[in-house]
Amino acid sequence: MFWKRTIPIAIVAFVGFLTLFGWFIDEPNIKVFVEDEATQWYDILASFAIFLGALNLLKLQSQKILKKQKGWQFSIFAVGGFGFSILAGFVIKGNDAIQWGAHVTGKGTLFKWMFEYMFTPLSATMFALLAFFVASASYRAFRIRNFEATLLLISGIIIMLGRVPIGIKISSWFIIYLTILGFGIVVNSYFKNKQITLAFIGGGVLLTTVFGFLMGWPIDRPGIFYLPLLQDWIYNIPNVAGARSIMMGIGLGIFATSMRYILGIEKSYIGE
Amino acid sequence: MNAILNFISRIGQLDRRWIFLIIALVVLVPLYFPLGLPIRATESTKQVWEAVENLEPESKVLLSMEYGPSTKPELHPMVFGIVRHLLKNEHKIYITCLWPDGQFMAEDLIEKVIEVEFPNKSYGEDYVLLGFRPGGEAVIKGIVGNIRKLYTVDARGSAVNDIPMMSGVNKFIDFDFLFSASAGFPGTIEWVQYASDPTGVPMSTGTTSIQVNEVMPYVQGGQVNGILAGMPGAAEYESLIGVPGIGTSGMDAQSIAHIVIVLFIIFGNVAYFVERNKSQKY
Repeated sequence: MFWKRTIPIAIVAFVGFLTLFGWFIDEPNIKVFVEDEATQWYDILASFAIFLGALNLLKLQSQKILKKQKGWQFSIFAVGGFGFSILAGFVIKGNDAIQWGAHVTGKGTLFKWMFEYMFTPLSATMFALLAFFVASASYRAFRIRNFEATLLLISGIIIMLGRVPIGIKISSWFIIYLTILGFGIVVNSYFKNKQITLAFIGGGVLLTTVFGFLMGWPIDRPGIFYLPLLQDWIYNIPNVAGARSIMMGIGLGIFATSMRYILGIEKSYIGE
Repeated sequence: MNAILNFISRIGQLDRRWIFLIIALVVLVPLYFPLGLPIRATESTKQVWEAVENLEPESKVLLSMEYGPSTKPELHPMVFGIVRHLLKNEHKIYITCLWPDGQFMAEDLIEKVIEVEFPNKSYGEDYVLLGFRPGGEAVIKGIVGNIRKLYTVDARGSAVNDIPMMSGVNKFIDFDFLFSASAGFPGTIEWVQYASDPTGVPMSTGTTSIQVNEVMPYVQGGQVNGILAGMPGAAEYESLIGVPGIGTSGMDAQSIAHIVIVLFIIFGNVAYFVERNKSQKY
């Protein structure tokens, strides 16, 4: 218990406090530890963690094959890929002109071949599939069910069109006409009177047309209806406000969790 | 009228394979037959361009590549653009990678842009690939504290002490500018928190579209000089440096794909309302 519990907690508490105080105390040795040595310790530990992670992956996937658990056939590819990577990384260089180490990205090596012709297409394919799922989801799931969903949908459409070059070609006057029609639907559902709806839409269209002729139909004016400017505003104002508050919340959460680790309250890292 | 409503209802039940086929077509066709749509540079892209343009001649620029093949279509074009701009203005480029795949991306960059378009630039004198080191933000702290301890050899196995352009480069503060091309963690935010902000070395960034939201507060706060936001950002940068590349050609496909997705959303909602009215009637 002493070696498995007390010692690890004491190490974490000591190193945690030392690193934390390093930012507040003007002591050269502690500063050197915080800014230089601690990061090197982290690098060494991270390298071991990669090694342990690789062994863990191999163990879990091999067990899956041996016990013929659900989806064990896929694990054959995982273990096979692992073995092939080990071969390409440590045994077969493929190009004698290149040194060990540099062979990982060197021209004509087996490792580079594996990256270019196996990893890259697989990785790109997985990511590219997102476009198809987004399109399918937009057709089936993106519904105007309530006010929040409508707001999200309208912002999404503005960002999607405003970010791409075709958005530059969409006149703000076209968006004004669409807005009038959109509000026409709201007016109709509220009053349920065709004459009021017609008067609203007709009046709006007439006013817009008159102003359009007077202003000479500039594509980017009024700016509030020009998609590229609208998307800029969404990105810079509501989006940043939301992102900042989330970041502050995350920061406070990180601080609270770090203090729990340093004070020995959080012990999940020793399996408790 | 009923026939139209039934037709809309049927469209609402469209098999997803048709949607996949339509998306494949609208992405592929503009790639082969470009439309040449105009590109308008946003303020944040112009900020990046100005930050690079205003660097003193022969500035030492750290280029950090934190992305892999999955996000290559978005980030590779902007890195190509930045490197073209930097080398045209006679700056020195030091490439590091916080992601293992980043080193392959860097080799690709050297092979396709630097060696082909700038044959007079030599490795070790005008650009160097320091490569990948594991450790995430600890690597950034290592570069800030003492780059020589972290990198004793470059990605090609040469001793860092023997590389001419490394003379006088011992820590992050010795660089004049940082550009981080990032697709996630560790990336731009960690560079701001551990390197650029504490040392005052200016930085700009290029990220995937989805990451822009979380980086924007740093751009607005002045900690990051502009941001290249996804493929549109890359295309905008290409238009600013006057060298249209893969970013520009990809924008036509993205434009049409976005229009089609918006149409899908509209059709999907019309079908939803028709279906809902029908069920309310019965």
